[in-house]
Amino acid sequence: MPASSIDTILASSIMIILTTASMAIAAMTLYPRFNELSHRNDVERYQQLAKNILLSTGTPTDWGSMQEVVPSSFGLATVNSSRFYQLDVDKVSRLNDNNAYSITYLQLLESFGVRDVALKIDVDTLFDLSTSLVSSSSGENETTYNFELSTEKSGLPVTAQLSCYVISKNYVDHEFSSTTSSGNGSISVTIPNSENGTALLVSFAKAETRMVAFDVYPFNHNSSVPEANGTFMTSSPLNYALNVSFLYPTEQVLMGHAFTYGYNSELTQTSGDNQTAEYSFPHLLDSSPTILVLTGSNGSSVFAEWVAYPQLPLTIGSDLNDLGAASKIVSFSYVVTVNSALYKCTMKFVGPE
Amino acid sequence: MIEAFLAVLVILSASVFSITLYYPTASSDDEKMLKTLGRQVLMELDNNGTLGNFIDESNWTAVRESLGILLPIGVSYNVTVYDEAMSQINDSTMSNGLKGQKIVSSEYLCVSQSSEVHFYLVRLQLALVR
Repeated sequence: MPASSIDTILASSIMIILTTASMAIAAMTLYPRFNELSHRNDVERYQQLAKNILLSTGTPTDWGSMQEVVPSSFGLATVNSSRFYQLDVDKVSRLNDNNAYSITYLQLLESFGVRDVALKIDVDTLFDLSTSLVSSSSGENETTYNFELSTEKSGLPVTAQLSCYVISKNYVDHEFSSTTSSGNGSISVTIPNSENGTALLVSFAKAETRMVAFDVYPFNHNSSVPEANGTFMTSSPLNYALNVSFLYPTEQVLMGHAFTYGYNSELTQTSGDNQTAEYSFPHLLDSSPTILVLTGSNGSSVFAEWVAYPQLPLTIGSDLNDLGAASKIVSFSYVVTVNSALYKCTMKFVGPE
Repeated sequence: MIEAFLAVLVILSASVFSITLYYPTASSDDEKMLKTLGRQVLMELDNNGTLGNFIDESNWTAVRESLGILLPIGVSYNVTVYDEAMSQINDSTMSNGLKGQKIVSSEYLCVSQSSEVHFYLVRLQLALVR
């Protein structure tokens, strides 16, 4: 075979191999680029969708306070809001599946009206407050309980003023304290020994104006282990009324209170029978969530049940943990206002791959 | 033979060049999100004149702590406050250690609500900590 033929065959082989390799490299290189181009506007689109949820009222505009109404278009903003990202306390509460009037994720998607997007909404306080009972000492007429409280955000300490209420059967008391720069504080409360049953320490921590966290700590006072919240009733706050369904026919409510950082008020029963009851409470003009507490008895058990208004923390939406690696989850964080207090709202969106 | 190697050179050059065509757009998305977040956080902090009061009182600790609470985890920040003459007035650092590949800046014009009106320019620099 002539030398020129060998050269031609060799050159052709090299050309074929290189062309194939180059095409493969180009395809591998350009695929993410094309894929990126096809999803280029996703973030912008999701951001607009998130803003639409937070800035629009939905239809009807006051769907949150109408117990059985499912919105035809979804939005969480309050009617006639004076500032951006001001959310309606009832619309937020109805996203919590512990509320008897909550809307389901399917209803949310239906009213959201965007078919190719899954979403998840989280609403919570801006920072965390946690409580622990350190010690107690019993006297002849009263028992003193010592608590440690800590405030933090993502593991970092937060300095805050504390406002704590202790509730037991028919007894309510109010104490103030603060946490140091290390995020730790303590408080002591005293309860008369004439009371008994599950007691609650309702605590609010205020870092700055409108930045408030809360925690409710149940403990036993002259009784056995405290009953878990929700053992005796389901509580659903809506439209400044607490709707209660009793889980036992022999229950009797002793006292109802609404607490905020700076104020508290008694609940007023507006209707009820042996299965359900409704209590109204005033709109306390305080930059704080409201904690609604009912104490009562069921036979020999004395209980204390509570619910927050807005009913937080809440999570609604798709479980995005099991998505494939190719799925791009886009997350947005917003600081939102509910009843003049600030909360964090996280929205996550995911579309088709 | 020489032609073959020339062809190899051309094709390899084209492949290498095509790689440079790809650039990620994720960083620009992050920038947009951070800018929006920065503006929103400053607006919320200044609601009811809170931010203006902090600056009037030179309460830089309160500004730093408030931003630490308002900003989500994974976001680093640095704040600088300028007066009307664009002179920096915060005499202590308000930051959680700004670090990240891309740093974005949100600016907010703040007006104090005290009896004497002051204008401040608040520059909030944000970055995602990866």
